[in-house]
Amino acid sequence: MGPSLPSRKRKEVSEVVESDDEFDGAELEGILSQSEDDDDDVEDSQSEGEEPELDEDEDEDEDEDEEDDVRSGDEEGEGINGEPNSKNKPDVDGEADDEPNYRVVKDANGGVRYEYAEIDPVYDSDDSDAQGPVNTIGNIPLSFYDSYPHIGYDINGKKIMRPATGEALDALLDSIELPKGWTGLTDPETGKPLNLSQEELELLKKLQMNEVPSDDYDPYPDMIPYFTSIEEKMPLSAAPEPKRRFVPSKHEAKRIAKLVRAIKEGKILPYRPPEPETEQEDKYYDIWANEEPQERHVMHIPAPKLAPPGYDLSYNPPPEYLPTAEEKDNWEKLDPEEREKEYLPSKFDALRKVPAYGEFVKERFERCLDLYLAPRVRKNRLNIDPSSLLPKLPRPEELRPFPTVCQTIFKGHTSRVRTVAFSPDGEWIASGSDDGTVRIWALNGHQEWSAQLSSADEPEPVNMVRWRPSKDTFILAAAAGEDLFFIAPPIVSDATEQASRDVLDAGFGYATNGSSAAAATTTADGAKKEPPAKWSRPSASLVAKGVLLKFAVRSAIKTINWHRRGDFLCTVSPTGQRSSVIIHTLSKHLSQVPFRKLPGLAQTAQFHPSRPYFFVATQRMIRCYDLQRQELVKVIQPGARWISSMDIHPGGDNLIVGSYDRRLLWHDLDLSNRPYKTMRFHPEAIRAVKFHRGLPLFADASDDGSLQIFHGKVVGDLMENATIVPVKMLRGHKVEKKLGVMDVDWHPKHPWIVSAGADMTCRLWA
Amino acid sequence: MARIKKKGQAGAAKNFVTRNQAIRKLQLSLPDFRKLCIWKGIYPREPRSKKKVSKSSTASTTFYYTKDIQYLLHEPLVQKFRDHKVLEKKISRALGRGDVSDAARLEGNASRPDKTGKPTYTLDHVVRERYPTFVDALRDLDDCLSMLFLFANLPSTSMVPAKMIARCERLCLEFQHYLIVSKSLTKSFLSIKGIYYQANIQGEEVLWLVPYKFNQRIVGDVDFRIMGTFVEFYMTLLGFVNFRLYTSIGLKYPPKFDAVKDEDAAELGAFTLEGKTLVGSEEQSKLEDVAHKPDPKVQAAVNKVLKNMTNGAANDDASMANTEEADEDAAGVIDKFEPAAPGGDILPQPSYTGTNPNNLFSNFTIYLSRETPRQPLEFILKSFGCKRVGWDAVLGGGAFTTDELDPSITHQIVDRPPIQASMNEEGDGEDNQTAQKLAANRRVPGRIYIQPQWVWDSVNDGELKEPHVYAPGASLPPHLSPFVRKVQGAYDPTMSLEEQETEREALEAGDDDEEVDADETVEGMDVAEDDEDEDEEEDEADEDEAEEEEEEDEDEDADEALQRQIELEAEMSGKTVNSKAANPKTKAKEDAKKALAKKAREEAEDLDRAKGMLSKKKRKLFEQMQYTNNKKSAEDAKLRSKRRKLEKEKANGKA
Repeated sequence: MGPSLPSRKRKEVSEVVESDDEFDGAELEGILSQSEDDDDDVEDSQSEGEEPELDEDEDEDEDEDEEDDVRSGDEEGEGINGEPNSKNKPDVDGEADDEPNYRVVKDANGGVRYEYAEIDPVYDSDDSDAQGPVNTIGNIPLSFYDSYPHIGYDINGKKIMRPATGEALDALLDSIELPKGWTGLTDPETGKPLNLSQEELELLKKLQMNEVPSDDYDPYPDMIPYFTSIEEKMPLSAAPEPKRRFVPSKHEAKRIAKLVRAIKEGKILPYRPPEPETEQEDKYYDIWANEEPQERHVMHIPAPKLAPPGYDLSYNPPPEYLPTAEEKDNWEKLDPEEREKEYLPSKFDALRKVPAYGEFVKERFERCLDLYLAPRVRKNRLNIDPSSLLPKLPRPEELRPFPTVCQTIFKGHTSRVRTVAFSPDGEWIASGSDDGTVRIWALNGHQEWSAQLSSADEPEPVNMVRWRPSKDTFILAAAAGEDLFFIAPPIVSDATEQASRDVLDAGFGYATNGSSAAAATTTADGAKKEPPAKWSRPSASLVAKGVLLKFAVRSAIKTINWHRRGDFLCTVSPTGQRSSVIIHTLSKHLSQVPFRKLPGLAQTAQFHPSRPYFFVATQRMIRCYDLQRQELVKVIQPGARWISSMDIHPGGDNLIVGSYDRRLLWHDLDLSNRPYKTMRFHPEAIRAVKFHRGLPLFADASDDGSLQIFHGKVVGDLMENATIVPVKMLRGHKVEKKLGVMDVDWHPKHPWIVSAGADMTCRLWA
Repeated sequence: MARIKKKGQAGAAKNFVTRNQAIRKLQLSLPDFRKLCIWKGIYPREPRSKKKVSKSSTASTTFYYTKDIQYLLHEPLVQKFRDHKVLEKKISRALGRGDVSDAARLEGNASRPDKTGKPTYTLDHVVRERYPTFVDALRDLDDCLSMLFLFANLPSTSMVPAKMIARCERLCLEFQHYLIVSKSLTKSFLSIKGIYYQANIQGEEVLWLVPYKFNQRIVGDVDFRIMGTFVEFYMTLLGFVNFRLYTSIGLKYPPKFDAVKDEDAAELGAFTLEGKTLVGSEEQSKLEDVAHKPDPKVQAAVNKVLKNMTNGAANDDASMANTEEADEDAAGVIDKFEPAAPGGDILPQPSYTGTNPNNLFSNFTIYLSRETPRQPLEFILKSFGCKRVGWDAVLGGGAFTTDELDPSITHQIVDRPPIQASMNEEGDGEDNQTAQKLAANRRVPGRIYIQPQWVWDSVNDGELKEPHVYAPGASLPPHLSPFVRKVQGAYDPTMSLEEQETEREALEAGDDDEEVDADETVEGMDVAEDDEDEDEEEDEADEDEAEEEEEEDEDEDADEALQRQIELEAEMSGKTVNSKAANPKTKAKEDAKKALAKKAREEAEDLDRAKGMLSKKKRKLFEQMQYTNNKKSAEDAKLRSKRRKLEKEKANGKA
């Protein structure tokens, strides 16, 4: 039916006015009663009248239901499920009172079958609250519809027709006899006169009086204790009620009394206005009234004061303090941190032109930071004249004479010159070279004599030449490889030469014995010891040149040194192991090995200039032996890594040592076995050191191609130490293959020095 | 065997603590620790070996003495800091809860020194601890005064409360009053940074810097909290120092402060000193007069003598003589020690004969023109005895007179250029703003007009300078710092160049003259070349002597070549040759130069030899000293050469 209505309406839009009358009653009925179309008005009204009853029933039922719910709390789930049923039931029951809504028919099997009536699915069909047709025109006055037959529309869009107005007589009657509940109002929804029942009037009255509208509503129902419905028989505590529950508290009374007293005395003010900001003056007093000076802690460092301003800070400085344009530019280019001064001196010709100093606050702030953040360190400023640090040196004039310039250059050697020596009379210079020759030069640079000691093809380098220290003979000892040659060069007077030859040949008498002994050893071959050196005559050609005697040891000789009397001679061959140091006796042609064993490689050896002492230098140490008592006297430790050379002062108490690790060390033998002075003026290794025999001079030669001349004065007084003064650096030799000056020797009398260089020259310095 | 010692248990490791350790120990925040360090004067130390001291692997930078931190531990201020921290926490908690009234109540309890300038704590005990004696405090007054004078001139900001500035200003003015009354200002210097003042208070020299009255530019990241902490302490310190200083000369502290006058920018004039002996400025002047007069006893004696003398005409002379006599008596506390026999040492003795430099301006009435800086001038004039300083009304109140035409004025300080044009325009310089009644450039007769520098130079030299040198518009003589101590050999601008230049420089200078002469004769033919030579010489003045020698040789060669060229060109043009070599003077000079060079070379050689004999350590020390000395002497030489050039220019300009 529902769906059909709108469709009809749509079809008959144009005919609305005509058709309205026809369907008038039916339409209204259908809407009002929500029942079958064919039901009557009477029935409708009856059913309407019955509805409140039904509602009441429902309420009762629901109450019952609630009671049920409460009672059977455990059956709640079922109750919820059953609720729609219980709701439906009353309806069913109610209707069942009138007539059952089903028919009983026989089914195909002949059993009973209930056929229920078709349910009309009208909108809100089961809504019991629905009140007839409701005008939907909203809140507009009904007078708008005065000219229309209808008074509005129901929910389905149907017109609600104006109820028929009675006759004038009826109206009159009505006016005479007021029906019960007449209000004189028109129901806006229906257009009928609005009559109110007694109950409704009562209700209105109650509402007006702000009373509970319905009688049966209890605004204060008894509380139903849902959860503690069981009244406990026993109290939780059996203790009797304490007294304090009945007696007023004394303590509180006290406190209150106190407060009351305070209020009475005016101590507690009900409202205290905030105190006005009082500007109380600082209380100053004499804080140092009873001052006692206190010793500051030793480590306390007072903050340094800022430096007072100098001339350049003036607003009007002398013109020389003003920076030039260039200085200004440099200053501006620098970072503010790097600037030496944080300001540029500037000049203003009047005080009024001086501007504010922009960095003032910043400088103050930085000072503050310095005061509390900078670690303070006490710096000892040496306020002394730097020159007072320098030692008082004698004037160079007082130190004269010493060699200063290169006097002569001796050229002739074809390879580096290894060694050089002044003859004892100071007139000749002997030199030995890697080309295997020994040459003797006059002081003017002229070569007087020369001899090739070994074969020219494979020359043995001449490692050392040394003159025999006596003036009546003229003998040169030259070490070439393993051989040592004694040379009496035929360039001096015949007498001297003869004397020299005699000295050299004197040993041959002993040599017979020696040779016999040698013969014995050769025959025994191993059973007897082989002599450390074989003395013999060199080849005839050499003898003709003046090389009169030679001996050979087992390994290459590096150093030779004469005893002061010229009879003994020591040779050192560092690779010779046991027999590295040998002492030879010229007069007997005898060679002896003084040491059975040496700690380390022997580097050089030397006789003491006056006493029977013998000094042997190994790589790191120098040992001093007493030859007479045959015992070790002293061990000297220069502290050098590798000693290259040494020389003993003619006085005999001082020693200089040169080392390959660039050190020149002066030892005072009386003082200590450690060096008295260490001098490190050479950038390269020191090859040779030498004392002057007569003058207080000594020199060293280094691989850097220079000689250094020192003034080294030794006084006889034991209390006074030697004074050592560097006086001169002699440069001239060229450095070749990292070798510079190989050897030096002093003139016996004059302050002249000769040096052998790796550049194939010798130089005489004077 | 002794037990093996653990690392970090003894020695330096125990003596030092890092900053973080210190903070943890004191249970303070870093800013509070900073405050405490500033007030208590605790500063970091530099341990000999940082590695030994720090236990952690990371490098700590700041170390304190453990003892110092322990000392801080007992400081009552620490508890104040902690209380304050608790209160802050309460406030922030109340605010977090939205309990505004509670927060406001708590806030009322909180002291906000950064806002109110009024902390709840006092630093009195810190002052006493840091400076056990008054002299200790005076010794440390330099920074205090500089800082407070700066803050007195700062504008008030959120970081610098106005109250703090007002307090600083007051303390500074009070201090200045003391200096004026006690006449202890000794020197002052106008620098580009500000004005330096030096005072001698009870034998201690105090030097401080006051900025010029300008708005200070705040550059870079300046943390005013740190500065504020310092100022807080310094304010307390200066308050106590002022108290002590005032009471020491019988004045009441604090002096009476007149807020009305202060509103009128009277500054120093806003204070009225009061004390047992003097009340107000008039009494003050009386006191000073009393000081110059003989004491009453002597006066009575004199009067007796006067009565005896019947001659009224001789009255004056006699009184004069007697007062002198009386003066002698009064001054006779210290006798003059004359050496009876020759040979004894002469000891310095205090003398009464010299005029006190602090009464330099006592007889003057000085008027300050409106363009001069009033505050420093007022202060310095008053502290050097001038009692009558007047100034234009624009410069603020408190002046002796604001009337420029006051006949009592003896000196007027002017700092404006004389305008020639305004001389012709009659009465053009009207200015309603000032009390200026004179036309610009008008002079009042019988009055000395000077520039402000006259005051400073007079004060520093202890004698009145000649005013005509400092007359308005005159170019002023250089203003020299009175704080520079004369060091033998250092450049001194007050001495003439000849007195201080080295022999070598003198020779070179002479040489330069010659060269200039030569140039003039050749009419600037080879000027460029010559200049180069000069430059080379100057550049290589500090280099090795040997090199210099070579250089000189080269120079000589160059000179010879030059000479030859000159001759040739002269021949070509047909002029007479003004031969340099022919000049005997030049020759002598060259000889001297050569001799000098030789001497220098020999000296260098000696030095090298001597240096060779030093041990490595000593050599390094020597070289370092040599380096600094050379640097200083190079600077001096530069200044001398600049001055020589300037003098030459001036001479040329005159010629």
